[in-house]
Amino acid sequence: MSDLVVQDAGPLTTIQDLGRPGHLRVGIPASGPMDREAFLVANRLIANPDTAAGLECTLIGPRLEFTDERLIAITGADMAPTVNGAPVSAWQGLRVHAGDVLKLGPARSGVRAYVAIAGGIETPLVLGSRSTYVRGRLGGLEGRALRKADRLPLGPMGAARPRRLHPDRVPTYGGEADLAVVLGPQDDRFTPRGIAALFDAAYEMLPQSDRMGARLKGALIEHIRGHDIISDGVALGGIQVIGDGQPIVLLADRQSTGGYTKIGTICSFHIGRIAQVKPGGRLHFRRVTVAEAHAMLRQSLRTLDAAIE
Amino acid sequence: MTIWSEPRFLPCGDRALSVELGDEITRDINARILALEYLLQRKRVPGVGETVPSYRALLVYYDPLVVGHDELTATLRELLTEARPEVLPPVRTVELPCCYGGELGFELEAAAAKLGLAPEETARLHAEADYFVYFVGFTPGLPYMTGMPERLTIPRLTNPRLKTPPGSVSIGGVQCCIYSVESPGGFWVLGRTPVRLYDPTAADPILLRAGDHVRFRPIDRAEYDAIVALVDAGRYVPRIAGPGATTP
Repeated sequence: MSDLVVQDAGPLTTIQDLGRPGHLRVGIPASGPMDREAFLVANRLIANPDTAAGLECTLIGPRLEFTDERLIAITGADMAPTVNGAPVSAWQGLRVHAGDVLKLGPARSGVRAYVAIAGGIETPLVLGSRSTYVRGRLGGLEGRALRKADRLPLGPMGAARPRRLHPDRVPTYGGEADLAVVLGPQDDRFTPRGIAALFDAAYEMLPQSDRMGARLKGALIEHIRGHDIISDGVALGGIQVIGDGQPIVLLADRQSTGGYTKIGTICSFHIGRIAQVKPGGRLHFRRVTVAEAHAMLRQSLRTLDAAIE
Repeated sequence: MTIWSEPRFLPCGDRALSVELGDEITRDINARILALEYLLQRKRVPGVGETVPSYRALLVYYDPLVVGHDELTATLRELLTEARPEVLPPVRTVELPCCYGGELGFELEAAAAKLGLAPEETARLHAEADYFVYFVGFTPGLPYMTGMPERLTIPRLTNPRLKTPPGSVSIGGVQCCIYSVESPGGFWVLGRTPVRLYDPTAADPILLRAGDHVRFRPIDRAEYDAIVALVDAGRYVPRIAGPGATTP
């Protein structure tokens, strides 16, 4: 059995797989990668199953030592990856050897980078998943972010050849993130002016954002009859607007229920974009109907499936 | 406070919708929500993912590549005609030991003063009631319950605490909740249970479920400490009556 040795963990590097849906009804979020598309691409570049567990690295990447020959792939935020000090390309499969050291630095663009390793990380399954839910001390390695000197068990790998993403499919994470939003469930608790504000103005990502939610700042979103509701379930991407008229987008490690009005919900296929907006970066919301959202979802899945050469 | 004449189906993005039956916290509406969830999951409707019940709404995740929004809405409408409390499986009653007052129930005296009751009377009234779990959520394993006598209805704290220890048994409005992990809180802490409502190291980390009844058994500090030791050693079995009953 071979291990992956963590020489330096970075501020928040966690083990993630596709998550543990099914436990929101008892308050446990699905967790999983914040940028699902980048995570899936990393696995697919080295012929891992989509469900294989890899690493999510936040803002500054880790330094990792390999103990055998493996295919790996790095996707997501650009953290200027090197192997033994020499720059390597992201968005394509790479071969590393025993003793090689992969280093990811500070993110030059984007926020979250993903490292997939052939065979996947094989920490124990907890409620059917290896995803780390740090607030709930669940999954991953002892329910926590990685630390220096951790050793992560790797699974057996099959024979595969490294592949690469079509160069024109590599996301840039620059500029203003454009996010499709379906109104509801509580859009009737906002004034027309409040709803117009959400779609007209750009919102800025605040540094207090985390895996639970993205706190945004921008034009005031005006309520009707206050911001309290009888607590109900909170969907992934739900845009909660509290008393100060500012939005919070609820993400992978969100609370399962909440007592604040939700004006709309960011579509699943654009959650990854919000995960890559740095503090100070700007987001723009675009209104779509449920039918339009479903057509866009189909298109985005087709694009993702065709993205790898 | 109303019950809608027709259920509302509210979009929650491209992969979820919320079925809302009204705008009030009552056992009636909640029982229909829990019955709807039970029927939906039992029916194994293709494309339906996880569900999140709350007081008066059911959040339903779905895969739009398998089931369309309108088709799912039609199915839910049909199931709602059968969604009565009688369809639900028999309820469990979970007994939770609770040490009232002192450093564990650090707001018992203040809450009692606010209510115009003696602290002992407040604890006694609280412990005598039969609590009903409407749903579990916000943080892992946290039960939203009612059942308190009216005399314990109390406004929430004006300045919420930043940290509340797990196991804190607390009241606010007509509700009672038990904090499951260390978290901020706006309810008055009357006592603490040594039982873990959320234990990430257990095979099943969650103790309480929507639809459960909860009874509190007052214990003193010595018994609290003894149970904590048993819980830490993995040798404490909470007393549960009904399906999945345990006999300590």
